[in-house]
Amino acid sequence: MERKRKKRKAFFLAGAAALILTACVSRPSPGDNVMTFERENERAVTLFSPMEKTMPDADNVARSASEKTVTLAEEKLGVTVNYITYTAEDYQDKTYDEVALDRARNDLDDMYLLNPDILQKLAEEEKLMDLSELDSAKNLRDVVKMANVVDGKLVGIPQEVVAYGLFINKDMFDRYDLELPETPEDFLECCRVFQENGIDTPVGANRWWLETFVFAQAYADLYNGGELEAEIAALNSGEKKYSDYMRPGFEFLQKMIDCGYIDAEKAYVSEAIEGEGADFLAQKTPIVMAYWSAANADTAYGKPDFNMQVIGFPSSRGQMPVVSITGISVGVNAEHAEDAMRTLDIMVSDEALQLYAETNKVISPSKNVQVECIPALQPLNDRINENVFVLATNAGMKMEQWGNTCMIVRKLLGGASVEECMAELDRLQEEALQK
Amino acid sequence: MNNEQNERKMDGSIFLPLSFLMVFCILGLVVFLIANKISAEMSASAIQNLSESLDLIECTIEAVMNKEAEFQQLMAEEIALAEDPEAYIQVYGNHQTMVKISLIYAGKTEGVSNTGEAFSEAGLNFSGKGTVGGLEVSESYMNYMGTWAYTMKCPVVREGEEIGHLYIEYTYDTFDRSLPDGFYNKKAMLYIMDAESQRFVLKPKGMGERSAGHLNMEDFFRANDIQDNELREQVAQSVKNGKNIMFQHDIRGKHSLIYMWSVNDGTLFLIGYVPVDAIQQEGKTVNQNILIVVATMLIAFFLCCLLYYLTQRQQLKVRKEREQEREIHNKQLTEALQAAQIASNSKTMFLSNMSHDIRTPMNAVIGFTTLLAKDAEHPEKVREYTKKIMASGQHLLSLINDILDVSKIESGKVVLSVEEFTLNDLVSSVDAIIRPMASSKGQRFHVQVRDITHEYLMGDETRMNQILINLLSNAVKYTQEGGNIWFRIIGLKQRSPQYEHIRIEVQDDGYGMTQDYLKIIFDAFTRAENSTTNKVQGTGLGMAITKNIIELMGGTIDVSSEVNKGTLFRVELELRIPEGQADRRLWADSGISRILAVESDKAACETICMLMKDTGVVMDTVSDMDRAVQMLHDRQMGETYQLLLIDWGVVETDGVEKLKAVREMLPDTVWVLLLAESDTAGLDEVLLLKNTEVLIKPFFVRAFLDKVMEMKAEQYMEAAENTQNGVSLEGLRFLAAEDNEINSEILKEILKIEGAECEVVENGQLAVERFKSAEEKEFDAILMDVQMPVMNGYDATRAIRALGRADAVEIPIIAMTANAFAEDEKEALDAGMNVHLTKPIDVELLKKVITQYVHRKG
Repeated sequence: MERKRKKRKAFFLAGAAALILTACVSRPSPGDNVMTFERENERAVTLFSPMEKTMPDADNVARSASEKTVTLAEEKLGVTVNYITYTAEDYQDKTYDEVALDRARNDLDDMYLLNPDILQKLAEEEKLMDLSELDSAKNLRDVVKMANVVDGKLVGIPQEVVAYGLFINKDMFDRYDLELPETPEDFLECCRVFQENGIDTPVGANRWWLETFVFAQAYADLYNGGELEAEIAALNSGEKKYSDYMRPGFEFLQKMIDCGYIDAEKAYVSEAIEGEGADFLAQKTPIVMAYWSAANADTAYGKPDFNMQVIGFPSSRGQMPVVSITGISVGVNAEHAEDAMRTLDIMVSDEALQLYAETNKVISPSKNVQVECIPALQPLNDRINENVFVLATNAGMKMEQWGNTCMIVRKLLGGASVEECMAELDRLQEEALQK
Repeated sequence: MNNEQNERKMDGSIFLPLSFLMVFCILGLVVFLIANKISAEMSASAIQNLSESLDLIECTIEAVMNKEAEFQQLMAEEIALAEDPEAYIQVYGNHQTMVKISLIYAGKTEGVSNTGEAFSEAGLNFSGKGTVGGLEVSESYMNYMGTWAYTMKCPVVREGEEIGHLYIEYTYDTFDRSLPDGFYNKKAMLYIMDAESQRFVLKPKGMGERSAGHLNMEDFFRANDIQDNELREQVAQSVKNGKNIMFQHDIRGKHSLIYMWSVNDGTLFLIGYVPVDAIQQEGKTVNQNILIVVATMLIAFFLCCLLYYLTQRQQLKVRKEREQEREIHNKQLTEALQAAQIASNSKTMFLSNMSHDIRTPMNAVIGFTTLLAKDAEHPEKVREYTKKIMASGQHLLSLINDILDVSKIESGKVVLSVEEFTLNDLVSSVDAIIRPMASSKGQRFHVQVRDITHEYLMGDETRMNQILINLLSNAVKYTQEGGNIWFRIIGLKQRSPQYEHIRIEVQDDGYGMTQDYLKIIFDAFTRAENSTTNKVQGTGLGMAITKNIIELMGGTIDVSSEVNKGTLFRVELELRIPEGQADRRLWADSGISRILAVESDKAACETICMLMKDTGVVMDTVSDMDRAVQMLHDRQMGETYQLLLIDWGVVETDGVEKLKAVREMLPDTVWVLLLAESDTAGLDEVLLLKNTEVLIKPFFVRAFLDKVMEMKAEQYMEAAENTQNGVSLEGLRFLAAEDNEINSEILKEILKIEGAECEVVENGQLAVERFKSAEEKEFDAILMDVQMPVMNGYDATRAIRALGRADAVEIPIIAMTANAFAEDEKEALDAGMNVHLTKPIDVELLKKVITQYVHRKG
């Protein structure tokens, strides 16, 4: 009886195994033999930027604030944003601004991240799209609109308001009982004391940002109590000269160079932060100038070993932040202009700017986005919140400010006199007015 | 031999797992080698594929450049034919591929471009050796458009004379459109490097991990942490020589293959990397599948092993269980065999003992009967012989009783007759039997009762008696002359309020027992066999009977003993306390309401008070005679106490004089009772005092009451007692029912000797008929055998009692039977008989019983 049952079980198992094996055998039908491949019609826009994009599937990488907003736009629109990057190898190379200008003029890309001077130049050449109809444009602060509107067109929208300030080693100031400087005279006195105490070059500088001293002194009154529109109109008509505004700043820099508070030769060939950053962090230099985000970035001045304070530049109206507005623009002849506009709209939406501001702890261009700043930035933040600042860029002014001033300051570093610099300014103003 | 077997077994047990291990090792090795081989082959194949892909890309770029060169040459030929070459150039507007077309006439340094601007060679570096289709190629540079470009220089020849050079600028973006949009699933990176400047002139479209090192080769090495100088030297050499190379290095923590592929004889290089995983995807998949198959097979194998193991274990378990069962059966069989053998031996031994024990008294009976026949003429000898015959007969009887008792207990036929009894009666009766025995051997017999809360208890008094007498008689038997026997009844803590928990201890300082004997002491048919005790007669059944009875009562017995030091038996019993006990009424009748107890032992004092609690008598206690005197003074003696209970120990301590003084103080109506041991010396003197008596210890309420009643009745009981001593059976007439002729003859003769008449009938039926026909009061009593033919004694008694005549109800019916058990007695009494006597008939007992009942009748 038992043996019979076993036999039955064995037959059953063998049958089941045979059925399973039969099920595994398959033969493709003739219709399945032809394989077809379709080229993916990918929607893509190109963004010319000094930054790189992380591989989408890379793990454990800290994505930049800008990249997070790009990812947001990609997810929402289903487009791919291809980065075109450029970084100058050294000072002899073409600068990023030069390359950006060339590429935009030749319509090579869809979107560009532009510095204020380039933005203004390209706007004047009508190479940039008017962005004022974007939904996100309605949320922008007035100061941003003022800086980036050319002939009634909003040509660039930034993701942060770039505020420049003096980065101070407060410990070193305390060591020599120095008050934080309010006026240019205070500043020179501080430098003198530092120099007397063996710090030969109290101010660390590069070839880009010395102009901030000039702007603070030149426009302190203009943007804080002056008749702004009337004075700009006078400058645009040639009634007033930029050289009159900027002369004290250039003289101030000349004095700094003459006294050796700045190493002009080194500054002339130094890139931003790369030249002066190491000495500042090593507490060899008590003062450098930098933009707001440098205080948050670990790669810049994010983790100093001393009490760092960020204050405004010395001016007749006290410590003065210098604000420069960059912007992302869309080429007027962009190959994928429509997708580029949509992408930008998402990248500067309140949602994206909140993400950006939280990541970088910066001042947002949207009036709807507020984030707390770190203690070191508090003095600068307080002044900006009091609406005390000067603009280093203003598209409303016919003569481009940021780039031109930078070039002239570089000439000063190269050995030109203040008078020569003023003459160059006058020439540029005249050139601009003739356009 | 065993060791060898064990070693072999061990070898076998190790060999199997080792074999398995070996097989698995070999299998693992084979799988590993196959996987490795596949991996190596697939890797080689993947690298081959990669190099082919790179060759393809190289060819594409070279083809593009060659086409550009060919077109430029054609254009140069066209320009050579054109009348105004500069105008011809400017016809070309902006072009996606040729972004700038310029012409410089021979002998000039500046020319024009299609953009309308002036053009010179300044800024262009043609010093490199690279050519495309025979045309010189410049070093790469960032052009006016903001993108990387190169320029090819082509001579314009008209009629064999070189009239100038055609310069056309091309951007690398052109290649981007011809190159694959990412290969190896977009995991492979591809840059184009200008070999001369080592700058990267084309980067992956829109990609590049952060700090990917896209500036130049140095930056690429830095970003990818390629720091090995030797390797870098080899790379530099290969770049210089325009050779293709590949090497492995970690990129972002991933093992990658880095390639540098020469294009256009080394003027350009394709540089990039691809993770090894990406190119070996197929190999990895194959290996994974092999592993899955192997793992599946292993799992299947282990499952089979597990199934096999479980089946084996189950079978082993079943086998073991069967073996165990068999072993148990064998053991049980062996035990049963041993038990049967032991039983057989025991019974053989017992029979042998019994044969001896029965034959001995029987021998005496027969011997003395022979002597009796011979010496019938000598009354003295006859009396002596009959006395000895009687003793032997008694012994024989006790032997038979024991044997019957055991067989009855063992067959479960014993029924306990539970009735109310008092510990006093129990102790008294035991004392009455044992004390003379102990005295005869010069032993001291100590009785102690303590902590008892209830004196009246429910139980089978007869069986209790049997137990105690058995234990105590053994103690007497097995204790040398002059030894001590202790008999203790101790009250233990009650487990239930309805039950008295008592412990009975029987201790002696006699011979003791060996530990081996202690193990079998309670087994039937055993007897301590040694030189000292085998002089003692006995069946060896006593302890077995005792233990069985105790267990029947729900109690326990244990024993401890040491040779030559003595033995202690402990019996623990729980006896139910009867509901309505106490002789309260009798105490009230006795006229005793307050007693002064003089007792120095506090515990004994508490016991007395506790026992007297339910009697309604008020007990005052003092510890010595002085306090007693004081108390008597305070109480206006005599008016309060009707009795003084004085412990003899107090008298001994305080002196007899004090007792006498107390006696003097008391009126004659107040009794003094001395509580003393039975064999206390010095009592005689005090007993001479007026109304002073002794109460034998231990103290029992019942004994106390009896004593009081006895003392009360003493004066008028004396005469009656004298009369009772002279009673005989003279003139009485009995009807006896007895089927055994010899017994009836003996009965007749005995009664005749006592002056009584006896009419014997052969069965119960006849007895009933005879009584029915007899006149009223013709018979004084009926002696009724129980087991008779026709009608037994019980039925006959019932029939007589049911006759309806007045004397039928009153006439004493005395059962005389060989049925000696308690249940027999109970049945007899239930049937209506007045008393139960067991055969053989004890004449004195018969006389006493008859006198008692006939007197009552009278």
